[in-house]
Amino acid sequence: MRLDRLVPLVILAALGAPGRAAAQVLPERPLTLANGQVSVSGEVTASIGPRSDPGFFDYTDYEHNALRMLRLSLSGRWRPSARLAVLAEVRTENLERPTPYALFVRVRPWKAKAFDIQAGRIPAVFGTFSRHAYGADNALIGYPLAYQYLTSLRADAIPRTADDLLIMRGRGWHDTFPLGSTAATTGQPVISAYRWDTGVEARVEKGPIEAAAALTTGTLSNPRVGDDNAGRQLSARVAWRPFVGAIVGVSAAHGEWLAGNIKNRLSMALQDRSYPQTAYGLDAEYSRGYFLARGEVIASRWTLPPLDAPQIDAPLSAMASYVEARYRLTPRFFVSGRADHLGFSDITGHLNNNLPTPWDYPVSRVEAGGGIYLQRNLVMRAVVQRNWRDGGRVREATFVSGQVSYWF
Amino acid sequence: MMRLRAWSRTFGLLAPLAAIAALGWPAAARPFVAATIRGRVDVPAGSTATNGRPDVAALSMSMHDTVDRRRCVVYLDPAPRPAFDPGDEPHARMDQRNEGFVPHVLPIVVGSWVDFPNDDRTYHNVFSLSKTRPFNLGRYAAGRSKSVRFDRPGIVRVFCDIHSHMSAFIIVFAHRYFSVTDDEGRYHLGNVPPGTYNVAVWNEAHASQNRRVTVPDGGGDVEADFTLR
Repeated sequence: MRLDRLVPLVILAALGAPGRAAAQVLPERPLTLANGQVSVSGEVTASIGPRSDPGFFDYTDYEHNALRMLRLSLSGRWRPSARLAVLAEVRTENLERPTPYALFVRVRPWKAKAFDIQAGRIPAVFGTFSRHAYGADNALIGYPLAYQYLTSLRADAIPRTADDLLIMRGRGWHDTFPLGSTAATTGQPVISAYRWDTGVEARVEKGPIEAAAALTTGTLSNPRVGDDNAGRQLSARVAWRPFVGAIVGVSAAHGEWLAGNIKNRLSMALQDRSYPQTAYGLDAEYSRGYFLARGEVIASRWTLPPLDAPQIDAPLSAMASYVEARYRLTPRFFVSGRADHLGFSDITGHLNNNLPTPWDYPVSRVEAGGGIYLQRNLVMRAVVQRNWRDGGRVREATFVSGQVSYWF
Repeated sequence: MMRLRAWSRTFGLLAPLAAIAALGWPAAARPFVAATIRGRVDVPAGSTATNGRPDVAALSMSMHDTVDRRRCVVYLDPAPRPAFDPGDEPHARMDQRNEGFVPHVLPIVVGSWVDFPNDDRTYHNVFSLSKTRPFNLGRYAAGRSKSVRFDRPGIVRVFCDIHSHMSAFIIVFAHRYFSVTDDEGRYHLGNVPPGTYNVAVWNEAHASQNRRVTVPDGGGDVEADFTLR
């Protein structure tokens, strides 16, 4: 069955539930086996949005639009003891081949100490949104630009000149560069919320302070299972809870970003250098009563090899920031909104009369909407999203999207 | 789910009974020798405990307690007339402790207030979408408490908006003839007048059961055991 028929059917099926909602018709508990040692849960998120997004504002790759997507996921946990657990999540988007989103072991060496180690394909420690990205946890339907919007940068293909990069502004959904992979494919977001990295991480909590650090194979914008450059990323976040309901966190990440197949094509002098992604983040959350607000500021920098003139002779930077809020009007109804911006540093090429020009088009987004809990684990949302971009073939776009999210 | 609907119907029947009782039951009250109905409810092993969803996005091991689903509520359906005598407005308590609701099953009588104190160091947000009594207490910190009055009989599912593994049941009765089983599954319904009653057992994970029980005119103890499947 075609996706554009299937998603409305899922939504219509859920619409039949309100009359019975109070009786908690659909199962709400995970399946448990082995006296609670094994638990399995699932999530279905069906979003129906614009049939066409020629500006590719909401695409997570060339095929998938975050506002028009059917996502099924299955999570499992085997916890043979209080201090050991194995967790996994398999996910399919738009009924394509299921992929393992998470697969890791979690250990708490000392039961009385809030110290945990996780190894495998693990949740990101940087920032907060990657750990809120599930349909049920997301205040809206779209994702913040930093975690979804496809910049023109790729780790497996790079521009030789500043002009090569400037030509690709606004083409993150499908771009090509002269050095590296010749296939046209998508660029990368500042941080990928759709893939998790592979490695090991540790987390400790003492009083109002929580700290976590991870050593992983990929980077924030290019999380990986297999290594492609013999480099590692070190990322960390420290959070402080000054009082109940408030959290302030700072994050940092630094890791080799450029793919090894590109590095091998560089001159010996350039091969000796490091080409990392370095990012810093500040996040905050405040909640009280029926109100919840979150925000993040993320600065990321990618270093590229300086090749031909006009050269890209300084790291490329991006600055992303968003603030979102949700207010629960009644036990069932809530409203939410998010304001979002993603900007880029300047480079100088011949294309714009040798004037400094952002290496990708800055983007702004406002999304607002509301939702209803049909039952505790069945939520319907509707949003309006407005996008602005400083260039590209589509500069402005407004979308309306609806979503049904169910989990057990 | 069928079980929940059946319960809703049952409580729907109890409400008119309460009204009839308030207006005066045809048979006038007369002195009686009260009895106690007591017994034990066996719940099958293997389905007695539950944890929350796999917390794949978390960075730490969840150390909250496993929910004990063995608790059953035993009650008379319908209840004798004295059960509907108007009383005061009692207070019951459901704590938020170690990321769980304590107790997990709380039977109360119509008109009761339930206090929801937060005993944890983190926020909780107690809410219910039940038709019987929808409410949302919002987020409040440790040491604070909010209360809800329950005016209609029925089942109220209680959740926390922040911690998805937290859930509880408040069962609102129109009468006072109910009991929660203890750790060994034992219960007792005291002060039951002579007559023949339907004794019902409810458990969140198993189908309800009913038994006809006759309390003799002379009072005393009447045994009624149940085994849930």
